[in-house]
Amino acid sequence: MGREARGIMDDGARLMERVRARDGAAFERLYDSYHRLVFGVALRMLGDATMAEDLTQTVFMKVWSAPDSFRDGNFARVARNRSLDMLRSRSLRDGEIPADLAEPGALDDAVFARLDSQRVRSALAALPDEQRAPIELGFFGGITHEEIAKRTGIPLGTIKTRIRTGLRRLRVELEGAVSR
Amino acid sequence: MNTPSDHDAMLDLIAVAALGSLPERDLRLVTMHLATCPDCRAEYDALRPVADAIGLSAEEPVDTLRSARMKKRLMASIAPPGSAQRSPGSAARSAAPGGLMWASSLVAAAAVIFALVSTVQDIRLRSDLANAQRQTSQLQTRVAESQQTSENARTMVADLFAANAKRYPVAGGDVVARGNRVYFALRTLPPLPKGKVYQAWTLAKGAKTVAPSVTFTPNASGFAVVQLPVSATSLAAVALTVEPEGGSKTPTSKPSFVQPLS
Repeated sequence: MGREARGIMDDGARLMERVRARDGAAFERLYDSYHRLVFGVALRMLGDATMAEDLTQTVFMKVWSAPDSFRDGNFARVARNRSLDMLRSRSLRDGEIPADLAEPGALDDAVFARLDSQRVRSALAALPDEQRAPIELGFFGGITHEEIAKRTGIPLGTIKTRIRTGLRRLRVELEGAVSR
Repeated sequence: MNTPSDHDAMLDLIAVAALGSLPERDLRLVTMHLATCPDCRAEYDALRPVADAIGLSAEEPVDTLRSARMKKRLMASIAPPGSAQRSPGSAARSAAPGGLMWASSLVAAAAVIFALVSTVQDIRLRSDLANAQRQTSQLQTRVAESQQTSENARTMVADLFAANAKRYPVAGGDVVARGNRVYFALRTLPPLPKGKVYQAWTLAKGAKTVAPSVTFTPNASGFAVVQLPVSATSLAAVALTVEPEGGSKTPTSKPSFVQPLS
């Protein structure tokens, strides 16, 4: 999605306000703006298009039925958390990872508007493989850093340090977009 | 977390927490540390939006047919009941020329067969739909249960972080009260003898004796966060003792702390 298209999302918070007021047109616009993101994250995590479609449906149904639970409008994180829930409910993962830590520090709507998928892909691609791999495994694989270490055969301490170094480098790559 | 190397190790954990890959037990440790260390809090706040942005890399075009089907399904599911109407059936002819009566009968017979086939297909579709709805309902129930667990964890973290939470320093940590919720957030509990557990006690306002509450065992570092299953607003004080496994009805050891709640 390019910067122009992302412009639609600039008013995501206002669209959510209208959704709370039961505005169907605003809901449809919100769906048009974010369903590719929700579907994409779910597909990457669940590895099944039908499940990703169901999850997308569930997320947006929840947006409509309980809009107050989507205050931060962070659809990427919501899609990840719901995918984790689905993996757990289907016993495809243990229940060890909590869905989230705390809302402070989450990507807000204004920051989101300054980013696009291509820029994030490029930033990730710029990371050394040894840093990108554990970061992607952690985010999309929905597994703990301990599980990452076990699967890759790399010491736990090394995994933690690589995640930290990678996220810091990613922050530099995305500088200006994710700064508050 | 006093030495530089300890702090460096904590920064590693904070990065993993920002990514969302930290197990529950470590997350509680990080949560407690973030509440008391502004530098680490700033690190978390800096890395968390970066981790959030990673999701954007998965955004991809949804093929047109799928996209249209998803949207139609979604919009239909939020439409008010009764908004969709079946189109009325075609009207029967009121008259037909006599010489063409046989042809009319043939058409009528074909219509009946078509209607029967349609009905069978309709029943099959309805059955499939009912199955799909049942599966969706079961899935939604499971998702709702998981969400509730996550919501509880989020509420606890928010309470422990909240600026308006009341914190009462006690031996080994804090008692934290916010709204009607009360927690023991303990960081340095001494190891327990074999066969023993920690047990919380509550003293209700106006009561003369304490009531038994939850039992728990801290992790190897002496760390434990426990929510007491009572309303904080009804309590005059809380206490902690060491008891035999399974808990006691009345305290059998000297309390680790007794903390009045104001």
